[in-house]
Amino acid sequence: MPESLSAEALPGLIGDGALIAIGGAGLQRKPMRLLRALVAAGRRELRVMSFLGSLDVELLLAAGAVAELHSAGVSLDAAGLAPHYRAARERGSVRFVEWSEGTLLCALEAAARGVPSLPTWQALDTDLPALNPWLREGRDPFTGAAVMNVRALRPDFALLHVAAVDEAGYAYLDGDLAYDGAMARAAGEVIVSHDQRRGGEPRLAALSRLWIDATVHAPHGAWPTGCHPLSGVDSAGVAAWASAGQEATVALLEPPA
Amino acid sequence: MSAAIADLLTAALAREIATSGIRLFAVTTPASVAAALAARELGAPELALAAGFSALDGAPEPAVTRGEAGLLTRGPTFRDDPGDVFVALARGRVGVVAQPAQLDASGRTNLSGIGEPGHPRVALPGARGLPDHRTRSRVWYLYATHGPRQLVKRVDVVCGATPPPGALRRLLTPAGCFELGERGWRALWLTAAGAELVATAPAFGVVLDGAEPVLEQPDAEALAALERVDPHGVRRIEFASGVDAPRLWRAAAEREAA
Repeated sequence: MPESLSAEALPGLIGDGALIAIGGAGLQRKPMRLLRALVAAGRRELRVMSFLGSLDVELLLAAGAVAELHSAGVSLDAAGLAPHYRAARERGSVRFVEWSEGTLLCALEAAARGVPSLPTWQALDTDLPALNPWLREGRDPFTGAAVMNVRALRPDFALLHVAAVDEAGYAYLDGDLAYDGAMARAAGEVIVSHDQRRGGEPRLAALSRLWIDATVHAPHGAWPTGCHPLSGVDSAGVAAWASAGQEATVALLEPPA
Repeated sequence: MSAAIADLLTAALAREIATSGIRLFAVTTPASVAAALAARELGAPELALAAGFSALDGAPEPAVTRGEAGLLTRGPTFRDDPGDVFVALARGRVGVVAQPAQLDASGRTNLSGIGEPGHPRVALPGARGLPDHRTRSRVWYLYATHGPRQLVKRVDVVCGATPPPGALRRLLTPAGCFELGERGWRALWLTAAGAELVATAPAFGVVLDGAEPVLEQPDAEALAALERVDPHGVRRIEFASGVDAPRLWRAAAEREAA
């Protein structure tokens, strides 16, 4: 059974320079409570993987906590571009490793299976290999066809947020699982924050307790991102961040009392 | 852009999807959700809508606060493996709408940045799934404007490659509908302002011969279907001007919160 932790205990596990994979996608199910704990502890030089990022990446960039960012895209969805992400890339202030959605999944699957790389047809004939040292074009040894070899990328930690967990540690959510399952299987340790506890019904679970090392009870732990169906995106909060632009600070992402 | 053009393009997309023969459509924006839902009423009742990575047969709705395109489904759906969307792409069984920042004369796409690869003058969201469309799946590009910033001779960063031979790639803009062939993009039909707009993006390479049909009104049956599936007109937000878009977005967000 996964261990139960407080969010404040997280910095004791995750040190400077760790590679953390952040679950959710876009403005849904970002583990903001967990990330705020890392920011409050002053973590630095983090290597961050966010499949489709939003305010998760913005928070860590605004706190100066990021050295390297792996992502297929970061934005505030309908509210527009993500200001700190945009500035970081234009200034070159973090190492940005650009992935496609498909190649990032390959990198996680390779890590989960324990193989050094996996071949795919994705990203062939694009500029991505020049922007991502985990991608290398080659030839299939059987057919000679061009393939993109994707090197395994194993996060030290996966930080996920779900609607609920049960007593045994199974995780439940409604809506898109995104890459949470792949991150959980690939990461060294998996920490899942949750809004609620619920009765056990493992056949309906989204993530098995087999892949979860610790859980953190964090009501509204995704705020201001959404956690369907418990809470929607706080549109005013997202708009406030977008309006502040590069002046947006971590204080804007402190939850209301 | 006027609501009339937004409706004309979304109705055209709905008809395209309905007649394409695809079984699975991956929605990416509120307008694409509306078009796909309308397509079900226009002769494709069994069309599956991929609403996110783990719900390939979901029930999305046109919305602005429920994921990037109302992707959170109404009611329970079968939970697919997130990798299955790439299986569907590889097998050519999926259609998708994409809105890259740049689209070029050879069908390459860019959503990474403006400027040299790796050194963007203007950083954009990122490649997203564009590099994963190198298949014979059907892709529609849907733009709110038709101009030289988006439609270029060569993209700054190649996120999406030139599609393989035989892959259907169609472009819908306020100028009309265009299809990519061996010799570049050609017009299938134009709007009333189409010829004038095409002339604003000469590097994109569309050459008109004056015989292109002109479509002045939305497909009435498709528009009626759109009104049924999207009665609040959420589909029009992504086509709205800089002044109107935030107002429409706030109104939709308040309605969804209620």
